Amino acid sequence: MNDSSYEARRARLEPLLESARTLVDASSDRGKHARERLVASSGLSPQGVDFALLRCLESAPSEPEIAALIRSTPTAQTAHVLLSANVFIAAHRAIAIALAASADVRVRASRREPEMAELLSAGAPGTFQLVSELSARAGDRLWAYGSDETMTEVATTLPPGVVLHAHGSGFGAAVIEEAPSQTDLAALIAALAEDIALFDQRGCLSPRVVLVRAHSVSASSVASDLAAELAELELRLPRGRLTPQELGEIAKYRDTAQFIGEVSAAGSGFVSLGLENSWLLPPTGRNIHVLSTPDPIAALTPYSPLLTTCAFAGAPTRRETLTRTFPGARVCDFGYMQRPPFDGPVDRRDI
Amino acid sequence: MTRNARSDDLHRAVRRFASGDPTRSFAELALEIAAFQREFSAGFARLCASRQSSLERVDDIPGVPCDAFRLARVAVRPESEDRLRFFTSGTTSGARGMHAMRVTDTYRELALQFGRSALLSSERPHHVVALAPLLDDPPTSSLGHMMAMFMVDFEQRGSFDARTRERWLIDDRGVDLTGLERAAERATTHGETLLVLATSFALVGLLDTLGDRALPLPRDTVVMQTGGFKGKTREIEPSELRARVARAFGLDETQIVSEYGMTELTSQLYEASVPGSVLARLRRGQSGVYAEPPWLRVVPVDPTTLEPVPLGEVGIARIVDLGNVDSAVAIQTQDRVRRVEGGILLLGRAAGAPARGCSLAIEEFLAHVPR
Repeated sequence: MNDSSYEARRARLEPLLESARTLVDASSDRGKHARERLVASSGLSPQGVDFALLRCLESAPSEPEIAALIRSTPTAQTAHVLLSANVFIAAHRAIAIALAASADVRVRASRREPEMAELLSAGAPGTFQLVSELSARAGDRLWAYGSDETMTEVATTLPPGVVLHAHGSGFGAAVIEEAPSQTDLAALIAALAEDIALFDQRGCLSPRVVLVRAHSVSASSVASDLAAELAELELRLPRGRLTPQELGEIAKYRDTAQFIGEVSAAGSGFVSLGLENSWLLPPTGRNIHVLSTPDPIAALTPYSPLLTTCAFAGAPTRRETLTRTFPGARVCDFGYMQRPPFDGPVDRRDI
Repeated sequence: MTRNARSDDLHRAVRRFASGDPTRSFAELALEIAAFQREFSAGFARLCASRQSSLERVDDIPGVPCDAFRLARVAVRPESEDRLRFFTSGTTSGARGMHAMRVTDTYRELALQFGRSALLSSERPHHVVALAPLLDDPPTSSLGHMMAMFMVDFEQRGSFDARTRERWLIDDRGVDLTGLERAAERATTHGETLLVLATSFALVGLLDTLGDRALPLPRDTVVMQTGGFKGKTREIEPSELRARVARAFGLDETQIVSEYGMTELTSQLYEASVPGSVLARLRRGQSGVYAEPPWLRVVPVDPTTLEPVPLGEVGIARIVDLGNVDSAVAIQTQDRVRRVEGGILLLGRAAGAPARGCSLAIEEFLAHVPR
């Protein structure tokens, strides 16, 4: 029997939350084991995995956040989860949402990166099932995470009557509208560099573009400071392995960016500076495009369906405008792009 | 010398080179054009500086990525001097690239010279039709513009307006089979060779329309197919498409010749297969092998380092096209190629970094770039 009372749903989450908490501690056996496995599968450096676990895994969500997650989640007879690769910590929130929906949760992990789901399962035995294939039936719900291509494939192969909650491809952006003091700007850039470096920028929350308001902030200074910060950060948070295809994409981006603007080396990655409002989406792997524009919000508008999160620095009224303009995006402070409140799916777009 | 005077001089030199004048070599011209572009194209100058290119060898010339044509103007002069602007189809992504030209004679002479050598099976006049929509005016499709040039030049009866409905056999209703039959009758009656210029997706549309029927064309007909499918129709493997088209028209497969061209280029490559053609006599190659004209060179390069790969290995194509005097003499494509005897074997487009997880792929982003 699927108990849908709030208390029952809250209770179902507890073992999972505890399992996550025990992974964060690098000195524990589970913490050490998790780091070894995640380094092997994710391609991230050991420091990158450790930083992601410490910074982004929701080990201590607040009760209001948990309540919001539960209340925003519809119930289901069976909740299925299809996990994606790359952002391993995402498994935690995805499984939590499914547990809020049903006592019967079946999780199909990414075949390339199954570790996090297995680690969470080991720490919360019996809480959910790991399956190798999805077997949803009418009346079930499926929360699916991955590329748009995968979402389309899933949507076309689901049996009738299964409700799909699809969370596809997206990107993050950062907006600087007002020139803060030099100290504050340095802090913003340092925080942004961490947002970029997390998961080597492979997630849908990862910032790929910075928009600065022309005549208020110097895009050129932001680009050069960010390049220096990323290079500095890489010394203590090395970039992990990239695939040959990813390296090829970076070579293409670097030369394209050089043609349309300017490029600065930023450790292993690059920061490009767009001239004349030139848009460019850099490939993942710690590359970011800085764009000067008279109205950053207007410049982002065509990409509304793709925007998952936006870090903002500027006037409160403009922040409200940003929030209204992109209701599907999470608007946050710099340094918080990769750790949104544990109040539901990170991706709030209506897909 | 002014910018345009230098450009005119280089255009003349390229045309002379194409007509066999050995005064300046391919490498000399390529490097002169690259130096000219470095002087007048800020983007190319930045690219050369970042790659620390001294422009002393052809291999030093950095290829301008095709994406640059979609995101910026690739030209050595202001827009006001453009005489022709060709746009990429932009069907797989919203952003359309533009290749603008100030001097059109070079495009015309290079396209006609190599087109004649690859497509004309005899010295007889040819009757040329296109399985393509009626060319717009002014032309915005480089392919359509080239087709119109072929119609006028290959018929050998002086200048005429090629923008007539009976020559462009695709409209909103699909492929005009009756028009194609009429063209075949006319070619037979006038003792002309029929040349059908077609995009791959138009040929698929034609096969779908024909179903099991055949549409026999005169025995010496040549069909030029070009281009990918770009999401316009279902895809068919090139070898299967060739075989099915040959069967439907009652032709030998050698009479179906593939062209490789891009909006970003001035010149084209062809398979050297058409029986009786100059190109087939000079460089008979296997199916799928594209011959370069003397004024164009394909260099397979490593996708990561962008350095030339050893002979015979697969790389992505950097194309040095002397015709691109005023845009980018070297362009960097993502097409996988291997140099083989007789030319370049095309192996399809290099996959971008595969969609891993939920990060946005660049192609998905480009689909949202406002036009």
